[in-house]
Amino acid sequence: MRYEIRVDGHMSETLAKAFPELEHVMMSGQTVLFGPVVDEAHLYGLLARCRSLGLRVLEMRRVPE
Amino acid sequence: MVSVVSERGDNRPRPPAAGVDPLGDPFLRTRFAVPVRPATFLRRQRLVEHLDQALDTALTMVDGCAGAGKTLLVADWAAHLGRPVAWLTVDACDQAPGVFWAYLLEALRASGADEIRDVGCPADAGAVEHGLLARLAAQLNGRDRPLTVVLDEYDRVTAPEIADQLGFVLHHAGRGLRLVLVTRTEPTLPLHRYRADGTLTEIRDAELAFTPEEAATLLELHGLRLGPDAVRALVERTRGWAAGLRLCALAAQQSSDPGTYLKEFEAGQSTIADFLLAEVLRRQPAPTQDLLLRVSVLDRFCPDLANALAGRRDTGPVLAELHRANAFVEHLGHSWYRLHPLFAEILGAHRRVRFPGLEPELHRRAAEWLRHRGPLSDTLAHGAAAGDWEFTARVLVDDLAIGQFFTGLHSDGLGELFARMPPDTTGPEADLVRAARELSDHDLDHAHVHLEHARRALARAGPGRAAARLSCALLDTLAARLTGAPGRAEHAARTARELRQDLPAELLDRHPELPALLQTHLGAARLWAGHFDEARAALSAAAAGSGGETALPREESLGRLALIDYLTGWPTRAEHKALAALTDAERFSLAEPAGLGLVHLVLAAVAVDRDELDDAQALLDWATAVQPVPPDPVTAASRVIAQARLQLARGQPGTALETAGSTVPAAAASPWAEDHTALVVSDAHLAEGRPETAVKVLEDAVGREAACTVAAARAHLAAGDPDAALDLLDHLPAEEHRGPAVTVRALLARAEAVGRQGDPTTARRLATKALAEARRERLRRPLLEAGPWLRRLLRTDALREPVPGGLTARPESRLRTLPHTARQTALVVEELSGRERDVLRRLARMMSTEEIAADLFVSVNTVKTHLKSAYRKLGVNRRGDAVHRARELRLL
Repeated sequence: MRYEIRVDGHMSETLAKAFPELEHVMMSGQTVLFGPVVDEAHLYGLLARCRSLGLRVLEMRRVPE
Repeated sequence: MVSVVSERGDNRPRPPAAGVDPLGDPFLRTRFAVPVRPATFLRRQRLVEHLDQALDTALTMVDGCAGAGKTLLVADWAAHLGRPVAWLTVDACDQAPGVFWAYLLEALRASGADEIRDVGCPADAGAVEHGLLARLAAQLNGRDRPLTVVLDEYDRVTAPEIADQLGFVLHHAGRGLRLVLVTRTEPTLPLHRYRADGTLTEIRDAELAFTPEEAATLLELHGLRLGPDAVRALVERTRGWAAGLRLCALAAQQSSDPGTYLKEFEAGQSTIADFLLAEVLRRQPAPTQDLLLRVSVLDRFCPDLANALAGRRDTGPVLAELHRANAFVEHLGHSWYRLHPLFAEILGAHRRVRFPGLEPELHRRAAEWLRHRGPLSDTLAHGAAAGDWEFTARVLVDDLAIGQFFTGLHSDGLGELFARMPPDTTGPEADLVRAARELSDHDLDHAHVHLEHARRALARAGPGRAAARLSCALLDTLAARLTGAPGRAEHAARTARELRQDLPAELLDRHPELPALLQTHLGAARLWAGHFDEARAALSAAAAGSGGETALPREESLGRLALIDYLTGWPTRAEHKALAALTDAERFSLAEPAGLGLVHLVLAAVAVDRDELDDAQALLDWATAVQPVPPDPVTAASRVIAQARLQLARGQPGTALETAGSTVPAAAASPWAEDHTALVVSDAHLAEGRPETAVKVLEDAVGREAACTVAAARAHLAAGDPDAALDLLDHLPAEEHRGPAVTVRALLARAEAVGRQGDPTTARRLATKALAEARRERLRRPLLEAGPWLRRLLRTDALREPVPGGLTARPESRLRTLPHTARQTALVVEELSGRERDVLRRLARMMSTEEIAADLFVSVNTVKTHLKSAYRKLGVNRRGDAVHRARELRLL
C-alpha cells in the first residue's frame, strides 16, 4: 500500500525526520508525506504521530503503486 | 455479579488492610494531582460556564487536538469547583484493565471518596472482575452528592474493554458519578446515546479555539500588546490554537521587535508548532536547549533526575525559570515536572537529529537514577529502552521482585517487558528471569536448564548477591513443587530462610509476596509427600496475608488446606476453606484462575460425598476448563480421585477403574495419592461384585490410611466375612484427626457387621450414631454406599428422622451458595445489580411499576428492564415469586 498524507504548513527538516519511513515534499503551503505503508496498524500509527506532533492532517489517501 | 451467600450470609468484601496500596508508590501520586495552572493561564468564562454543565450530565467530553488547552481548562475548572474531584492522568502503561482500575480506584480514594475502600481492588493486571465494577457503581449510586471524576489523556486508553467497563460503571452509578474525559480522540463510548438523552456535555476544538479578544488578553499576559488587526491575523494563522498562540507569545517575547516578528510569522507557511518551537528552543541558552532535549525522553522528572541526565548540578533553577516563563515545562507538584506532551514529542524529533544515538545513554542514566529512588516499573522500562538487559534483570532481581512474575498487578507487564530480552543476555539474574517466565508458563524443562545456569554462575561468583540467591531458592522451591519433589523443596526453602538474614528488612518488608509464594510452594510439596501437619503449617502461614499481591498464593494455599481437610475426612471444613478462597479471589478480581483449579476439585469431591452429583460434574468440568493440564501433581492426583469417585457414584465402576489407572507423573511418590486411588479402585471392584479383589487392592494401604481400613472391612463384609471386618475395625488406630467422613463409614461398617452377627440392638445404636454424624456433615454418599440393610434397619426402627434431604429426596443444588467463579456453568444465579435490588425492594413494598419509576427517577421502561433481568437472574416469572425468591436467597 502506498499513501500520501497532506499536512498543513511547511514542515521543518527536523520534524520530517520523525517520519523516516516516508518521503516528503512541500507544495503551496502544505507538506506531502508519501511512501509505503505496511498495514492498517502502521496507517493509524502515522495518524497518531501526526496528532502528537501537532500537525494538521488535511488529506490522506491511498495512491496507486 | 453473583450471589456470594457464604455461611455468614455476608457477601460484602472486607476492606483491605490498612496501608495496603495496590500501587505501592507515593511517587505516582503526581498522577492524581490536579495540574497546576501557570501564571500566564487565561481563564475563559464561556468555557467555564459550559463546563459547569458537567455537574448535571453523566458524561463530559473535552475533545481537542494536542495543545488545545484541554487539560488546563478542566484543571482550572476543577480547582475552583469547591468540591472534591478525583483526577487521574492516564498513563501509557494503564492498558491492562486491572491496572487501569487499580489506579482509578486509588484516584477516587485519594479524592476522599472513602466508601470506595469497600469495593476491593484488582490484584490481576489483565482483568477486573465484574462484581467489583458493580460494587463500585453501587457505591457511587448511593452517594448524596455526585463525585466528579476527571480522566486526563484518556486517548491513551486503547483497550476496548476498558471503555465498556467505564460505560457500565457510568450507567449503573446513575447520578452518583460525573465523568469528565479529556481526550485527543473520540472515546469508544456510546456517545450518541448520551447525546440523545441530553446527558453529554461536549467541548470540542472549535469551542476551545481562542477568539481574537481572548488571544489579545493572553498576549497581554505575556507582556505583548498588539493592535486588533494583528491579533485577528494571528488567530487566523494559528486557528486560535492555544499551543500555537502560546509559542507565538514566547517566540515574540524573546525577539527584539515582537510586532514585526509576529507579522513575519503570519506571512510564513511553516507548520506552526514545529516552527515556533524551534524558534523558542533556538533562543534558549545552549545548556538549557541541551537540558530540554535530554529530559524529553522522560515522562516526568525532578531537578535531581534532570541533573543526572544532563550531567550537571544546577537544573533546579533552570527548570523553575522555564516553568515560570511557561516555556514547555509544567509543574506537577512536589518538585516534579513534565514537558507538555506536544512539546515533548517535537523536542524528541529535535533530539534525535541533534544527538543521534544518545537515546540509549539517556535511558541508561534515567534507569540508574531511578533504580534507587523511583518506582521499579519505570526503572525497568528505561533499562529496557537502553537495551541494557543485564542491568534490567539485575535491577528486578536485586529488588526481590522476581515473585511479581507470578502474582500481583505487575505480572503481565513484567512478562511482556522481559519477553523482549535477547537470548544472548548473560548473567545469573538474566537466567533467573528466564526461569521465572518459563515456570509461570509451566515450561519446566527450560526452566530447569536456566535455573541450573543461574545456580552455577552464583556459585562461581562467590559470596554476596543474596537477592539473586534468594530468588533462585524461591524458583527452586516452585520447580520442586511442580515436579513433586518434596525433598528438594525443603532444601530450597531452608536455603531461602537462611538467605533472608543477609538482606535488609526494609527490602523484605516490601515484598510480602515472596514469603507467601515460598510457603505455598513448600506447603504444596509437603502435602504431596503426605506430611499433612507440616504442610498445614506452611500453607496456613501463606493463607494469613490479606493484600492483593499475595492473593494468588493465598488462594492456592487455601485450596491445598481444603484438600487436606477433605483427605482427612472433614468435608464441611474443606468446603469452608474452598469457599473462602473463592470469595477472596473474587474480591481481588483474579482472572487467572490458576489458584482455583484445586479449589473446584475439592468442592467436587465434597459434592460427591453429599451425593450432589450434577454439581460435582459442573465443578469438575470447570476445573478442567481452566486448567486443561494440571499444574502440579497434587492437582493432577486430586482430579483423578474426584473424577473416579464421581464415576463410581454414577454407577460406572468400569470407567472409574480406567480413570484411577491414569498415572500422575511426579519425582517422588505420594502416600495419600496412592491410598486414595487404591480406595476408589477397591470400591469399584466391590461395586462390580469382586470383594476379594477389593480386599487385595487395599492390602498395602490397610493400617496406613484409616479410610482404606474401613473400606477393606466393607469388602470383607461383602465377601461374607463379618469377623474379618470387625477384626480390622477393632484395630483401627484411635486417631484424633479422623474426620466424620471416615467415622461415619466406620460406624456403618461396624453396624452392618454386628447386625450380621445377630446383635440388632448394637447395630441400631451404631447406625443411629452414624446417621447423626452424617446429618451434621450432610453426607449422603456413605449412607447410599452402605446398601439395602440400612434401609431395612431404618424401616423397622422408630428412628426415622430424616437424614439430610431424606434417603430418597435430592437436596437442593448447593452450587448456588458458591461465589461467582465456581459457577460459570448453566447453574449460575447472578448477583442482582444495585438498581435491580432497588427495584425489588420497592416491589416488596407493593409499589407499582410507575411508582417505582417515579421513586427512582427513572423511566417506566427502565424499571421494566431491571425487573426483567432480575426475573431472569432469579429464575422466576412473576412479581410475587421474585420477591419471595429474593428473600429466600437473602438478597433483600
